[in-house]
Amino acid sequence: MTRLAGGLIDRSRVLNFTFNGRSYAGHPGDTLASALLANGVRLMGRSFKYHRPRGVVAAGSEEPNALVTLRDGARAEPNTRATGVELFEGLTARSQNHVGPLGFDMLAVNDLLSPFFAAGFYYKTFMWPRAFWEKLYEPAIRRAAGLGALSMQADPDAYEKGFLHCDLLVIGAGPAGLAAALTAARAGARVILADEDFRLGGRLLAESHLLNEAPARQWVAGLEAEFASLPNLRVMRRTTVWGAFDHGVYGAVERVSDHLPTPGEAPRQTLWRITAKRAVLAAGATERHIPFAMNDRPGIMLAGALRAYANRWAACPAKRVAIFTNNDDGHRTALDLAAKGVEIAGVIDPRPDAKPLGPYPVYAGSVVTDTRGRLGLSAIAVTREGQTQWLDAGALGVSGGWNPNVHLASHQRGRPVWDDAQQAFLPGAGIPGQIVAGAAAGKGSTHAALHSGAEAARAALQDLGLTAHLPDLPRAEDGAAPPHPIWHVPGKKRAWVDFQNDVTVKDIKLAHQENLRPVEHLKRWTTLGMATDQGKTANVTAIAVMAELTGQSIAQTGTTIYRPPYTPVSLAVLGGGDTGAHFRPRRLTPSHSWAKAQGAVFVEVGPWLRAQYFPRPGETHWRQAVDREVLATRAGVGLCDVTTLGKVDVQGADAGIFLDRLYANAMASLKVGMVRYGLMLREDGHAYDDGTCARLAEDHYIVTTTTAQAGPVYRHMEFARQCLWPELDVQLISTTDAWAQVSVAGPHARKLLERVVDGFDLSNAAFPFMGCAALTVCGGLRARLFRISFSGELAYELAVPARYGAALMARLVEVGKDLGATPYGTEALGVLRIEKGHAAGNELNGQTTAQMLGMGRMVSAKKDAIGTVMTRREGLMAETRVLVGLQPVDAAQPVTAGAHLFTEGAAQGTATDQGWISSACYSPHLGSMIGLGFLADGAARMGEVILAANPLQRQEVRLRVTSPHFIDPEGGRLRD
Amino acid sequence: MTDLTPICALGAEAPQQARFGALHLAENPGLGLASLALRRGQSAAEPALPDLVLPGPGGWAGTAGLAAFWTGPDMWMIEGPGQAEADFAAQVKAWAPGASVTEQTDAWAVIEIASSAGAAPLEALLARLVNIDLAGFGPGRAMRTGLEHLSVFVIRRAEDRVAVLAMRSAAETVWHALTTVARRQERGGP
Amino acid sequence: MLIPHPLLGLRDAQEFTYLGDARLLDRPDGLAPDAAEAFADYVYLRDNPAGLHRELWFHEQGDRSWLVVTRDTVTHEILGAELARDVALARRSK
Repeated sequence: MTRLAGGLIDRSRVLNFTFNGRSYAGHPGDTLASALLANGVRLMGRSFKYHRPRGVVAAGSEEPNALVTLRDGARAEPNTRATGVELFEGLTARSQNHVGPLGFDMLAVNDLLSPFFAAGFYYKTFMWPRAFWEKLYEPAIRRAAGLGALSMQADPDAYEKGFLHCDLLVIGAGPAGLAAALTAARAGARVILADEDFRLGGRLLAESHLLNEAPARQWVAGLEAEFASLPNLRVMRRTTVWGAFDHGVYGAVERVSDHLPTPGEAPRQTLWRITAKRAVLAAGATERHIPFAMNDRPGIMLAGALRAYANRWAACPAKRVAIFTNNDDGHRTALDLAAKGVEIAGVIDPRPDAKPLGPYPVYAGSVVTDTRGRLGLSAIAVTREGQTQWLDAGALGVSGGWNPNVHLASHQRGRPVWDDAQQAFLPGAGIPGQIVAGAAAGKGSTHAALHSGAEAARAALQDLGLTAHLPDLPRAEDGAAPPHPIWHVPGKKRAWVDFQNDVTVKDIKLAHQENLRPVEHLKRWTTLGMATDQGKTANVTAIAVMAELTGQSIAQTGTTIYRPPYTPVSLAVLGGGDTGAHFRPRRLTPSHSWAKAQGAVFVEVGPWLRAQYFPRPGETHWRQAVDREVLATRAGVGLCDVTTLGKVDVQGADAGIFLDRLYANAMASLKVGMVRYGLMLREDGHAYDDGTCARLAEDHYIVTTTTAQAGPVYRHMEFARQCLWPELDVQLISTTDAWAQVSVAGPHARKLLERVVDGFDLSNAAFPFMGCAALTVCGGLRARLFRISFSGELAYELAVPARYGAALMARLVEVGKDLGATPYGTEALGVLRIEKGHAAGNELNGQTTAQMLGMGRMVSAKKDAIGTVMTRREGLMAETRVLVGLQPVDAAQPVTAGAHLFTEGAAQGTATDQGWISSACYSPHLGSMIGLGFLADGAARMGEVILAANPLQRQEVRLRVTSPHFIDPEGGRLRD
Repeated sequence: MTDLTPICALGAEAPQQARFGALHLAENPGLGLASLALRRGQSAAEPALPDLVLPGPGGWAGTAGLAAFWTGPDMWMIEGPGQAEADFAAQVKAWAPGASVTEQTDAWAVIEIASSAGAAPLEALLARLVNIDLAGFGPGRAMRTGLEHLSVFVIRRAEDRVAVLAMRSAAETVWHALTTVARRQERGGP
Repeated sequence: MLIPHPLLGLRDAQEFTYLGDARLLDRPDGLAPDAAEAFADYVYLRDNPAGLHRELWFHEQGDRSWLVVTRDTVTHEILGAELARDVALARRSK
């Protein structure tokens, strides 16, 4: 056991957990990493390319090495940083990326092959032969090099989204963030304080310094009590602000129940969209290491992390520890560890004048040049002026200085700026409304962090017109000397820069040799800074090494910039609760419950769920039901819920003029009480949508749109009303959902309707084809009736308030029994309209014109409507393909939508293409499949036999060209 | 009076309701709705709605018997509690003969949410559903916004009462969204 | 992004649908002798500035207003928003 005294863990309770099947114990307050270290476990995983043994390097979300697969079964989550996993009872974790046990990984042979895996090996080694890439190289690489694997099971947990608004968002709850939140909250502003950790305090929790002569945790505890009493402050623990978007919108993920064995009723995580008027970025800083030969053994860590484990978690990876530092902060680690009774083998400090700050030996003017220990560090080589000695040590803390966490300040292309005095990249131009404070701004001493946080909050509030007073801040240490600029220790052996991607100093040298020197090239050639840690502990060091090689300054070399997310965000939480049946909204028709009771089979039509057909006992194939519904409609009367068609109420003195400009054909001339088919064009002259316009009064129309285009057409109508012709008196509102609309079609339609209308004269003379009226049905229910037909039969559409839709359907079926009243679904609807030759979505697909649809004459040249000018373009006028009907010569042959049409005997290619089939179905009326399609010179080719080619299925079918109106081409039935 | 039997937006003859801790959610099938749009050049003062002044952008105003909320420039939705079975649009047209009036009663599923523990549970619920800054959303405010990819109206009728209007065909989706969050809230979730 | 709606204040861009260049307000007269050329320009030609851009946004999940938003395409800074109806009417009165 390597548990020390003290720490912020609750020793009164024990939490049991397993790692690679072995049982261990820890305490509340532990992370998986701290608990493993406290149990003497240093080896936690294998490296990405070389499968080298690796241990934990950091104590926070920057961890590159200690990635584990957490939990089992469907909840297994790969690539979880052990440093961020809060220990819970029963936790299970496994190491990743090894074959065989972690201590003896078969793929460690890759380490011996390392010359093959140098920078750019992906690009160089596997270029040829090409076919080998997919079959051999890629699978092998994927197996050998990589991170954890997905469970391949559905995620059982729930996720949710939420929205928060505030005056000030404070990102990070270290000294700067706490001071900022305190300042702003006391001033009465609405404040959100978010931190990725489960405890407030940030770096204060990891340090031994005093605030006002008391442990810092006492000051934090006092603040927490005050925060709890402030209703205008929302403290969000376990919440990572991972992206800074335009205009003060921040993305955050709250890990609501990741610290629990299972979420229970709660969501696992919540994605918050925070709209903040101002933000203070107090994200702290991340320590960087100093590459030296064989610097990747388990036990070699960041010095600040070693200190954090000792002070906060009372854990230390070894009994004898050494420190390698180029700055004073590394000495603090030695001091704190010594105070906890850890033996300090020595502090190796390249500064020639380095002095001990406490009772430990210092190796001044020295560097670490090699290490030993197969699965964990056992000794280090210390070299001074060419003389090397070996020191025994089970852990080594390395400190090369601190990099401000500028990530969220550069999410909008703000480039960090190198500061020579501080030897660090500081936030550059930054983000409007965001102030960077504390260590993230290079104000790394506790004193400076506290004061810059408070000052940032005061300034932000002043911007908003709020007055804030700086609080009394505790006295704190104020030492922050910049590090001695040594970026790596030269040597022959490999020295790792990026542990996660196995990028060494040699790789950077190779990239330099190969002239991939700009930082963006360096990154892509070596894979530096990629994957889960995005190079938080590596990038700046790599840039400094490249600068040394090129002879440029670091400022000249520059840095890559950061994009969201700051730390990995699961796709599950980005998706929120939108899974399964709730992946998107579902719309139900007014007669849905009735159709369900009838045993209807439903189909998704965009967001709508519509009855597809109504199978009856004995019908074993869908076609039996559909054929029956079609024949029953043509012989008697059929009923279909057509509510899904978009309906827009158009009112105003200029409603007629407005519609005249919206539709290619004339609408102002429509008589009150009549309906007219309308074709809308896009401004480029192509057909956009179709529907009907019914004129209920001089200043009142109801127009319908296709189901699919209801939303876009409404938007288009508002565009025309507000942007193109604002001087017209027109008012629009959608009424799609308000009215249940039922199509009543077939020779007995009139007879059936006579049984439900309240004394309304349905005779042909009183209510002719294309008539419309408001009336009442079923004893006083207000309704609207339109005599329009999509099927080619005598037909009406009857609308009643939506709440009566189901009852109306049931009533019509009931009172129409003797007339053969038959409900039909979308399949029969499709067959009826194809038989009649009516265009629908397949024909109005955005590539066709009025002329192609056989409606060229409808486009009025006398008025200026949307799209009419462009229809007269030469290219569109020259188009000869028009809508025709197609019927197989051999009735047993299929007609396939999407097939292309060719002259018999001609070569088949784009140059000889004669058109295509847009719709096809089986016509029970004709006893064969039929189709609608667009054929070159179609009008002149009636009776000709052509070939439909469907090369995907190696299908060629001979079709006879016919009128698209397979049923009643004269239209007598509609007008009866 | 018709002999047909109406059903509620959620598909049953009786309105749905559910209680989750302090929150009570109930379908309100009785609300008559009609949109009122001014004709071009018409003044907002012209429609003579009894004891009701049409509210400005983002506003809701009402008495026990009649209410209105702003839905767009020169456009309002008029609410008639208990008027769903009447021809409410005709009634509104009679008050505002010069305006364009359209029946909207069955265009919307109306869900009334009441809290027995003040504003806090209601606001916690809204924060997980709609992107509205609750600081500016006190009683008398009404906002159209997105909820689970749907367009809804959210009306703050009182500190402890909110109404959500969603297109009737999507009633099931919006009820699921509301009750899922309310249930989590009740069972000690966040 | 947040759009400063002239009537409703700052609203999240998620509530809006984007159309494009506000020059779409200037629809040519379809009965004019040069209509063919004018419409070819109107339908197909757009500027693509790096900098200030006046563009049309529709408040679809909101009050159904079309807005003319002035946005810097480089920084995403939004300098203002007007009701498109007002902009269109003002142009007519010129």
